[in-house]
Amino acid sequence: MNTENIDKSLFTFAAFDEMESEHIAAPRYSYWKSVWKTFFKNKFTVAVAVLLIVVVAFALIQPTRSGYSPINTPNINNAELKFLKPSAEHIFGTDHVGNEVFDAVWAGARNSIIISFVCTAINMLVGIPVGALWGFSKKMDKWMIEVYNIISNVPFLLLAMILSYVLGAGMRSLIITMTCTEWIYVAYFIRTQVMIIRDREYNMASKCLGTRTWTMILKNILPYLISVIMTYVSRQIPSLISYEVFLSYMGLGLGTTNASLGQSISLYTSYMNGYPHLFWIPVGVLAFISISLYIVGQKLADAADPRTHM
Amino acid sequence: MSNNTADREVILSIKHVDISFDVGGKKKFVAVKDANFDIYKGETFALVGESGSGKTTLGRAIMRINPCSSGEILFEGKRISGKISREEDRNVVRNIQMIFQDPAASLNERATIEYCISEGLYNFHLYKDEEERIAKVDRALQDVGLLPEHKSRYPHEFSGGQRQRVGIARAMIMDPKLIVADEPISALDVSIRAQVLNLMNKLKAEKNLTYLFIAHDLSVVRFIADRIAVIHLGEIVEIADSETLFRCPLHPYTISLLSAVPMPDPVVERTRRAIVYDPSKLDQSGAPRSLREIRPGHFVFATDKEMEGYEKKLAGIESGNDQ
Repeated sequence: MNTENIDKSLFTFAAFDEMESEHIAAPRYSYWKSVWKTFFKNKFTVAVAVLLIVVVAFALIQPTRSGYSPINTPNINNAELKFLKPSAEHIFGTDHVGNEVFDAVWAGARNSIIISFVCTAINMLVGIPVGALWGFSKKMDKWMIEVYNIISNVPFLLLAMILSYVLGAGMRSLIITMTCTEWIYVAYFIRTQVMIIRDREYNMASKCLGTRTWTMILKNILPYLISVIMTYVSRQIPSLISYEVFLSYMGLGLGTTNASLGQSISLYTSYMNGYPHLFWIPVGVLAFISISLYIVGQKLADAADPRTHM
Repeated sequence: MSNNTADREVILSIKHVDISFDVGGKKKFVAVKDANFDIYKGETFALVGESGSGKTTLGRAIMRINPCSSGEILFEGKRISGKISREEDRNVVRNIQMIFQDPAASLNERATIEYCISEGLYNFHLYKDEEERIAKVDRALQDVGLLPEHKSRYPHEFSGGQRQRVGIARAMIMDPKLIVADEPISALDVSIRAQVLNLMNKLKAEKNLTYLFIAHDLSVVRFIADRIAVIHLGEIVEIADSETLFRCPLHPYTISLLSAVPMPDPVVERTRRAIVYDPSKLDQSGAPRSLREIRPGHFVFATDKEMEGYEKKLAGIESGNDQ
């Protein structure tokens, strides 16, 4: 091409600002904002979450109004009030002693929920720091793994039986039973997770900058584990509710003086043939709470994973 | 040139360092064998070798990440390998910093750039108040050509070159004396390698730094290094200043490494022959090899017999007869 005919005065050098190319045009990223945004994107999850909150709140409040207690049986001699079918007057019907099943189920749900939440909180609060340190320290790993081997080889039911005989039935002893060994499984799980990311290059970089182990756990390790910890919690809460039901069913739970879902299920199983609704109503409430807790927890865990934020 | 190395101040000294790893049971894998060299204050010392040659292991031993199985590492005359007091350990951290190979992996993805860069400041409380810390971070960002507004961003929002510069800023904010740069540009796009190298050179001049530059690419090393050590399978085979090494390489491994460098000239490139390193051509008598000084500042790993051959070759090159 002939370039000589082109008027050079038509061209000027474009200005180039090197700093301008460093500028990031994308909007600012905020971790927690993105977590909520991702979570609320799914309408089904939000619906389940709202329903769950309503049910849990109801379970916590309703029993304080009804004042239900399994040892309180004013209608026990009134045959007309026993085994009533669910109706407008008796929403879930009445049971073998003439008590409202509605009151019994919510009082039971309340205790079950409180126990599982408290136990999960204790297990996590103990398990996570211990597990984080366990994963970091090779010295601690040597003896902790032996402690873990010993504890995990004790049958849970045996331990629950011994503890319930020693401590007696009740909320306190049930919480002790479900936390005294359970925390080590949380710790073991966290230990494995920490070991996976412990030797990554950014942790080595922190070490080269003189960062202490605790700061590293708080700033480098735990933020990466939010999602897996949430997954763990979302499985632990329902599984502890089931545990409580199981132990009460076995007669090792809260005892006959306290309401619990396990108690109700175990009591009402005997009327399975004649009055199946007595059995299915507490089971249904248990299933709803467990499944919705699991779904909401899983979706929160997914939302907490920054790979889903894009 | 090489003659005045004697009166220069040694900042880091590697003395008979062996580094080995347990490979299950009693087996041991020796990654570095009898490494011996000094790094002088203010120079860029390059450690060059192929993958698995032990160069990164040696760099990490200096950072006290990998322990030495024997020998010692001295920093400013004080031993920093093995068990040292907590205070000395903190001193090493303050004075020796590292730039990592993979900028994506070496930054904490869940922390802001501000935290990443401040990390060292927090650990050593190198600031009077918040205001001074922010000012220091801003300056560190500007030093590496980034903007203060980047403070609140997360590492994944940056390009590879920008992330590597964050890594450099985080090391520089500590005001170290020695920087171990472990292949700082290998993971970067070719178009920004020069930018990062120029930045490193600029900072070196400004802050009076010493670099240990670990690389596998001799063409890069030629551009940045004053002296070069070639490492092969854990053994240092040749040390010389950069010009000497490129002009008269002696060890066959160095020669083959040099022959592998591609030339950005199609005419030369057409006739370039890559020389394959063949250890069987070395002295097979079983005589002990050691790192010997053949000329002042020029060391080669050889037996007595090989030494004679190298001497002859070197004399030939010096008299200008053949190459």
